[in-house]
Amino acid sequence: MQKVSLFIPCFVDQLVPEVGIDTVRVLRRAGCDVDFPEAQTCCGQPAFNTGYWDEAREVAERFLRVFRSAEAVVCPSGSCTTMVRNFYPELLKGTKAGEEAGSLGKRVFEFSEFIVKVLGIADVGASFPHRVTFHDACHGLRELGLKDEPRALLRSVRDIQLVEMPCSEECCGFGGTFAVKFGMISAAMGDTKAGNAEASGAEYLTSIDPSCLLHIDGILRRRHSPVRAIHLASILAQTAEASEPAHTMAEARKTE
Amino acid sequence: MEQIDNPGRERILSRIRSALTKPAPQHAAMQAAQIFAPVFDPLARFQKECTDNVAECILTPDSDATAENLRSLLQRIPSGEVYVQDAPVLRRIAEKSISGRPIRWSSEGPPNEASQATITLAESLVASTGSVLVASCDGGRAASVIAPVHIVVAGQDQLEPDLDAALTHARERGLAARNSFLCLITGSSRTADIEKILVLGAHGPRRLVVLLAQHLD
Amino acid sequence: MSTAAREFLLAASNSATLTPRETIRRSIEHYEAAAQRGRSRFLDWEGARRKCSEIKWEALNHLDKYLLEFEQRVKARGGHVFWAETAEDARRYVADLAMQRGVKTVVKSKSMVAEEIHLTPALEKQGMRVFETDLGEFIVQLRDEPPYHIVTPAMHLTRADIAKLFTEKLADFMTPDATVKDDPAQLVAAARRALRRAFVSAEMGITGANFLVADCGMVAITTNEGNDRLGTALPRVHVAIAGIEKVVPRLENLGTLWPVLATAGTGQQITCYNTLIGGPRAANEVDGPEEFHVVLLDNGRSELLADPEQREVLQCIRCGACLNACPVFRTVGGHAYGTTYSGPIGSVLTPHLRGLNEFQHLSYASSLCGACTSVCPVKIDLHHHLLQNRRNAVHSADRPWLERAAFKLWRWNMMGSHRFATAGWLGRNALSVLYALGLGGSALDPLRPWTKYRAAPAIPKKSFRASWRKRGAD
Repeated sequence: MQKVSLFIPCFVDQLVPEVGIDTVRVLRRAGCDVDFPEAQTCCGQPAFNTGYWDEAREVAERFLRVFRSAEAVVCPSGSCTTMVRNFYPELLKGTKAGEEAGSLGKRVFEFSEFIVKVLGIADVGASFPHRVTFHDACHGLRELGLKDEPRALLRSVRDIQLVEMPCSEECCGFGGTFAVKFGMISAAMGDTKAGNAEASGAEYLTSIDPSCLLHIDGILRRRHSPVRAIHLASILAQTAEASEPAHTMAEARKTE
Repeated sequence: MEQIDNPGRERILSRIRSALTKPAPQHAAMQAAQIFAPVFDPLARFQKECTDNVAECILTPDSDATAENLRSLLQRIPSGEVYVQDAPVLRRIAEKSISGRPIRWSSEGPPNEASQATITLAESLVASTGSVLVASCDGGRAASVIAPVHIVVAGQDQLEPDLDAALTHARERGLAARNSFLCLITGSSRTADIEKILVLGAHGPRRLVVLLAQHLD
Repeated sequence: MSTAAREFLLAASNSATLTPRETIRRSIEHYEAAAQRGRSRFLDWEGARRKCSEIKWEALNHLDKYLLEFEQRVKARGGHVFWAETAEDARRYVADLAMQRGVKTVVKSKSMVAEEIHLTPALEKQGMRVFETDLGEFIVQLRDEPPYHIVTPAMHLTRADIAKLFTEKLADFMTPDATVKDDPAQLVAAARRALRRAFVSAEMGITGANFLVADCGMVAITTNEGNDRLGTALPRVHVAIAGIEKVVPRLENLGTLWPVLATAGTGQQITCYNTLIGGPRAANEVDGPEEFHVVLLDNGRSELLADPEQREVLQCIRCGACLNACPVFRTVGGHAYGTTYSGPIGSVLTPHLRGLNEFQHLSYASSLCGACTSVCPVKIDLHHHLLQNRRNAVHSADRPWLERAAFKLWRWNMMGSHRFATAGWLGRNALSVLYALGLGGSALDPLRPWTKYRAAPAIPKKSFRASWRKRGAD
């Protein structure tokens, strides 16, 4: 059985936990032994992106310690995976942790990348009878080179209708602290993305980046759009036998 | 011009030298890649590119036919002066083809702004792009840009398959050394500055015509 | 916040009223289609990018050698080379030269460097008339506006806008009985007529240079219109002004650089006129200027050269591809930046040329999507340089004290999973209470910067880790 250590982005943990729960369900269905190292907090990306590299470095070094002995680390976020794989080497260059960063970079995977390229599976037994369009989140696309993998998984979902929207590769406008520092520009970019999703005729917009999706969801609901934002894991978690509807980004969280 | 005081020169050079003592990273060196598709039939390719660029390429067997074509071209150009590069082959062709309108030769000076057409030779032709390479020795700088029509008289032996070949041969022939001006001309003057709509004949010629003889004699 | 930052925010928020986003989008879509066709003409576009990157790397990392070679050859032909440390030095050289030569009319070909040093006002102050001859530049000059884009200066205007402008300012040159008043061909013809007058009367032609070719001592100038051609054939003085980073080692380099510049710039296989000028008119030549001057501008470039991490930014060939690819540029347009160089290259370069403190905001005004890096024909790692500028800003420029404090708190919070979980629990509950009290969106709401533009997120009762702890192996 493939052992997987979950890397749940800090804001997913606190704000959209269903993305994490759905990630676990899919990985287990795909035959993985899933573990969640509770010592984890954050990969350091917010500080890194805002230029606070000293602070980010400390948090990154802690992250490396948390996942030091993990066989495979899987994360339902393209941008967080990119942080660890592509940016830790630069952030930690010249430090002792720098080498470890290279090693971890080979063992960390984005969720869809892991299922398709490591497990070698495209069909995870999902069912989602809706029209869906895929947003090519920037980090996943340009830093991790993922474009076909999420689509392969989506195409294998029963009864799904996958449609492409115009400018699927154009940035949604989240960009980390950019979303609040330059909110007007971020929102305008989000509106462009929302408009393109609506033009595609899709009922759902999905992606591998929950940060994009939080932003797009906020924009979609603000404009009372018929389109709903949903994470790829939440689509794949749905089976024909499911008793509840899939978790969209917007849903009020259930009480436990 | 008088020697101008330029203390900045030494300071800039010194800053550059000091800057370069710190080495910068380089992307991994590449093996030589084939960047452009090879050109197998330069003549056909040149003709195709001219069509795409809205340049006219007229094939002629020899100078006499070139002269004949030139004559009929000029018939459809408004009356007025034509400016011709003063070269023996053009003298001969002009004699057979230009009548009933004033000719100004490059040996007399630069062209008048009101010229209806200019006629020059070229240094080479580039098949892959449909370009014409001219130099100041081909009638000067203004000759290939000032009039509404620019006519180039060339021979097929001047065809280069691509830019790399053209530039290499230009160097071998000392073109850059012997001319203060060179220009690679591809098609007629154009602009798309208004809503990306292509308009021909911005500041330069509206028409570029290449009369391409098998041999230029 | 610096003045420039404040102005940027204001301009960005007004941008859509001044220029409809549709206009910008249409122009860029046009470009995209052409650029895609252009790239497919290459057998190996990625190979072409690598080759251009190598050529520029070689030039930059031996910059003194190639500049000296270039200078020596220009002087051997009777040309002059002036090395300008600052914008002021360059302006003064050209203005003094124009004064001494009795210049009354100047024709100018497109030059971003001339924009950078504000050359035109300096000449106009001396009573000279300066005509922009590139059609796009001519149009924005008539509107008293800076260029909107480094390659297509008037992309923000419709033909109706331009027709109205020309009717007002170029009435003498418009065809009075034209049936279609905003026909682009008619408008171009009017501009051609107007500018011909300037070309034949001008005493000085000023151009930029796309490349400075060291081994033949020639400036390479690229245009589609031929305005650079007339401007360097008719007037008696030619001044070419270029940044020191424009030098390339060999003539043969142009065999790759010219097609790549054209493809990335406009999607053309090659631009209409690729001119090489090495000196004034030689003794046996028919025409050409009596004098040829090259002004080499530093203005902060040697400092950037000294930064090994970002030296490659100087490889830029000013093609404009990054502007076209940038979703921020597509949203706010070129004028909002308020700087000579806009888009991603401007956001990387301006803090270096004009000060990190004053212009760091441009490096922050990006979502770091990386589209710019993916299209740059000389493979500059643009979005990573934006990140490096941000890091440099935190280290050595003014950042808001609240931000510095917030990240110190953030760091503390992330260094322990218990404090992280506790802080998260506290935060979620505080927000739930706040929203329950109807205070969502008020000044007390910490999510206000987010919810100003987006519907508020639902606040979960339980975090993932709490659920995991409870159900773990479930």
